[in-house]
Amino acid sequence: MSYTLRGRIESRLAAALAPLLAATGLALVLRDWWPFELAGLMIGIGLAADLAYHRLLPYQPGWLAVPLGVAELGLVMLAAWAAAVEASLGAALAFYSGSWLLAQILGHAIFPLARLTYAEDGGELGRLGAVTGAAVVGVFVGGGTIAWATQPPTVHLEAGVHRGPLVLDSPQKLVGEPGAVVTGGIIISSNSVTVRDVTVVGGENGIAVDEAEDVVLDRVRISGAVLDGINVRRSSIEIRNCLVHSPAGEYAQGIDISFSLDVGPSVVERCTVLGGREGIVTHSATVSVRENRVAETTLRGIAMTEMSMGSIEENEVSDTLGVGIYCGDYSHCVIEENSVWNTAPDHLSGDRTRRGYAILAHFGADAELRDNHVSRSPGGIAAFLGAEIEPAED
Amino acid sequence: MEKPCAIVGGGLASLVAYATLRKGGLEPAEIAVFGKDPDPAADFRRRAGAIRQRAMRSESDGHAAAASWPGLAVRTAIRRRSPLPLVASVADRYHPSVAEFLDHVAEVRGHTGWDESFSRSRIDRVRAVEGGFELDGHGVFRHVLLAPGHPGLAFPPELSGDPRAVHAYEPHEYTDHVVVLGAGMAAATEWLNALAAGASVVSVRRREPERRPLNLPRTLFTRRGLAGFHRTPAAERVGFLRRWSMPSYPTGRAWDDPVERARGQGRFRIATELNGAGQVICATGFKRGFANDRLLARLVADHGLETAEDWIVLDPDSTVPALTDSSRTLSLAGVPGQWAFPAADTLAGAKYAARRFLSRVKACPTR
Repeated sequence: MSYTLRGRIESRLAAALAPLLAATGLALVLRDWWPFELAGLMIGIGLAADLAYHRLLPYQPGWLAVPLGVAELGLVMLAAWAAAVEASLGAALAFYSGSWLLAQILGHAIFPLARLTYAEDGGELGRLGAVTGAAVVGVFVGGGTIAWATQPPTVHLEAGVHRGPLVLDSPQKLVGEPGAVVTGGIIISSNSVTVRDVTVVGGENGIAVDEAEDVVLDRVRISGAVLDGINVRRSSIEIRNCLVHSPAGEYAQGIDISFSLDVGPSVVERCTVLGGREGIVTHSATVSVRENRVAETTLRGIAMTEMSMGSIEENEVSDTLGVGIYCGDYSHCVIEENSVWNTAPDHLSGDRTRRGYAILAHFGADAELRDNHVSRSPGGIAAFLGAEIEPAED
Repeated sequence: MEKPCAIVGGGLASLVAYATLRKGGLEPAEIAVFGKDPDPAADFRRRAGAIRQRAMRSESDGHAAAASWPGLAVRTAIRRRSPLPLVASVADRYHPSVAEFLDHVAEVRGHTGWDESFSRSRIDRVRAVEGGFELDGHGVFRHVLLAPGHPGLAFPPELSGDPRAVHAYEPHEYTDHVVVLGAGMAAATEWLNALAAGASVVSVRRREPERRPLNLPRTLFTRRGLAGFHRTPAAERVGFLRRWSMPSYPTGRAWDDPVERARGQGRFRIATELNGAGQVICATGFKRGFANDRLLARLVADHGLETAEDWIVLDPDSTVPALTDSSRTLSLAGVPGQWAFPAADTLAGAKYAARRFLSRVKACPTR
């Protein structure tokens, strides 16, 4: 179709109204504004793209909707990343895809049926266009006002060393400026807390989270903790893009999420954990552990135990002592597409379950394995004490 | 005044207008259609048959239904249970077959109730009267759409009476040596037909044809291109219309390969003058200009309408400005509507005029 600029904008806004309303509703229900933010980015980038399309595309064949949609998706994802929109990739893709599909159906079928001159008018919708445009603005203003009013405050941590422990006992976003360092740890005891771009040095635990939900740790760097780099108890949390290294205690661990079966699930993704006894460990918790790099641990690389449930996916586990990935004590684990290499036998322990197993199921645990890549680990994959591994083709 | 609306002309543009009015909520009893043949595809069928046209130049939305969607590609995909027509359509490569198009026209004719409104009558005169238009003794109608079609076949005067000459749109076979006069879509179709029949072909043309998928650049089918066209002064607009009336036919190997093969075999060549070939096929299209149409010529003369060379000057909504106001409408569809929509002689053009006619009718307080 040969769109006019006004036609492009009116069609864009009219097609965006339903997704925007859905996103606003979802945000209100979830009390989490990422759907609204994502919809805003999608519409904003779409409108900016329309200005470019108008100059570049006097005529737009139908097939071009696909590459343009993909390009806009890339820009939206980039903008979401830059603006730190806290949306999961799957949810964001689903939202974008659904909105795009709806726009195609509206543009090709519904609008031409509802307005006979739609194509000749270059996508302009007349009164309907004005009404839907005003509605989009109205929803933005209304939703934005509510979002603004209900957002936790953002606290900026200046560059420099701040003596801890910092106690975060109310909803807030703690955002570190480049060079912001906290010594002595951070303690989180409130729901809806986000900590981003903060370096933590020392402390009994680097960051301790206790009885809190809707907690996000993003781009935190932790070193020198005596016990755990990140210690989570009875909480649900998303830990992303973190670095935990250089533990200070003999029994220190990287990330420990425990006793959280009765709260929401947690996620650990795209983190690097170096050193410690266990790199990432869960006890009685529901956790998704994915796309992390764990190395140089002395007990296990990644462990899911004490009736935990969850997935261990696409992680790289290397240079560990005894066991690479562990599913133990009646836990249910989906272990897939991980790469495990250089798992050294722990001869000094005298424990025959620590003879360099890349993946180990233990004591009644149930582990589903798929497409894992194991190398230079003499124990390979094994199950002990009534644990089961299925399927066993790995 | 028994019926508020009348459509003068019984061809495809009229059927499109009729379907649009019906979609807009008018009943068959509210619309009168005057034409010479109850089959709205009769002229098209005869011409397409004469040049053995198998596929339409138009695309998925080149149909006679009121709304653009579902287009012919969607309908064909459903009927064939295949997504291929849709894939071709999004790539602008779907061209319905003539047979599919004619089936569709018959379907629209049937489900809109066209025959209930149709009268086999020739209207030679339209006179503006108080509250509407008097149609040659058939009554007064408040809103009238004139779709008289092309005013006749264009035949080169120098070939008048020459037994070798036949117009492409008249039934004909092919001799061993064929001259095809013209360079548009019909001429290109005739080159392929004659070559396929084993003839050698001389293409006589005064200028090189333009190659484009549709009759006109695509932007001229929407407001994007039309807004500028409508702002153009009359003299310049005449120039545009003349230029856009130059012959053209689509690009693509289906058109080029047979010609190139025949050229290599010495069976196809281009010339600028007629020679002594045994058969001359005049793919020279139609006569142009309102003056060649008795109804339109009288309309202009009777009412002193503004004209610009071959064209009656129209408002952008394809209405005659001097004879249209809030209480009555006189609209031109099909080729006479080019002043408002340069591709008026296409199905898209018929829809353009029809949809704006419907808007006028619906906006009229005393419809």
